[in-house]
Amino acid sequence: MKTILFIVIVLLSGAFAGLIHGIVNFAIVEPYLDQAIGIENQNLFDSGEEEDTPQFWAEYDGYRTWQKSGQILAGVILGTSVGALFGIVFALSKNSLPGANNVKKSLILAGIMWFTMYLIPFLKYPANPPTVGDGETVVLRAILYLSFIAISGLSAVIFYKLSKRFDKNKKIISIIGYAIFISAVFIIIPENPDEISAPMNLVNEFRLMSVLGVSSFWISVGVILGLLWNRIEPN
Amino acid sequence: MNFIGIQELKYIQRMLFFMSESKQISVSKTGVSKLAIIALAIVFAAGLFVVGFDQGHIFSIVYGEQAFTDLYIHELTHDMRHAAGFPCH
Repeated sequence: MKTILFIVIVLLSGAFAGLIHGIVNFAIVEPYLDQAIGIENQNLFDSGEEEDTPQFWAEYDGYRTWQKSGQILAGVILGTSVGALFGIVFALSKNSLPGANNVKKSLILAGIMWFTMYLIPFLKYPANPPTVGDGETVVLRAILYLSFIAISGLSAVIFYKLSKRFDKNKKIISIIGYAIFISAVFIIIPENPDEISAPMNLVNEFRLMSVLGVSSFWISVGVILGLLWNRIEPN
Repeated sequence: MNFIGIQELKYIQRMLFFMSESKQISVSKTGVSKLAIIALAIVFAAGLFVVGFDQGHIFSIVYGEQAFTDLYIHELTHDMRHAAGFPCH
């Protein structure tokens, strides 16, 4: 395999998919973030922590512009990062993946990783808009979220390895095994300790947009890496 | 005393080139380069930390404790952090 070519197409596909993710978020998630931060600001005024003054709004506009401008840049960085993991897994598993060509194989893998490393952890720890998170619990929440992603992703790999030992008609045992294992972890692992005080319709709509945004990344990275692989064939 | 001539040097150069080509072919048969996996794993870990978890840690290398107050990277990645499901605040 041509190492440099492989690294370049993996990073490019991740960066492009991340760019798409950032643009999608900018269009569909930002309005909900603004709405949630509006509630957060109102809470600050009501509690007396901040005063509704021109200075407050000048400072607010400054950091909100910085935050919004970071949405797309952060999308590219996150996309390159997750795309790098996707590239490693794709290169190692390409020959075992079903599908007639690299685009289909890549899309199938993207679907599997979206399901095991995003959707299942999301069902336990769904995305929350600003106003929901408590700063005191952020480290605990980060540990729980990362742990669940790692457990789900690694256990999927282990059950896949186990499936290789079974006959073709018994491979379903591995899928059932993963389902039972991850359901048990789902029940055992502690809940998000934060209470939700924001309106639930805002939270739910934000979560839906979040899922659409992240899904746009996984579809994009699957298609782009598959197309680049077909075109350049690093191996 | 025998010195190596230009022709011999060219021959050695061709042999080295041939050996490196052979090595590349053997790597492609066995799979993915370990170097590529390590490089991509570093990109994965670094990018994930920057977007998902940095609370001033990276800039603190240069700016010290002040970086934990300024939170430049946290604020820059704030919207994506929420949108991608990472814990924030």
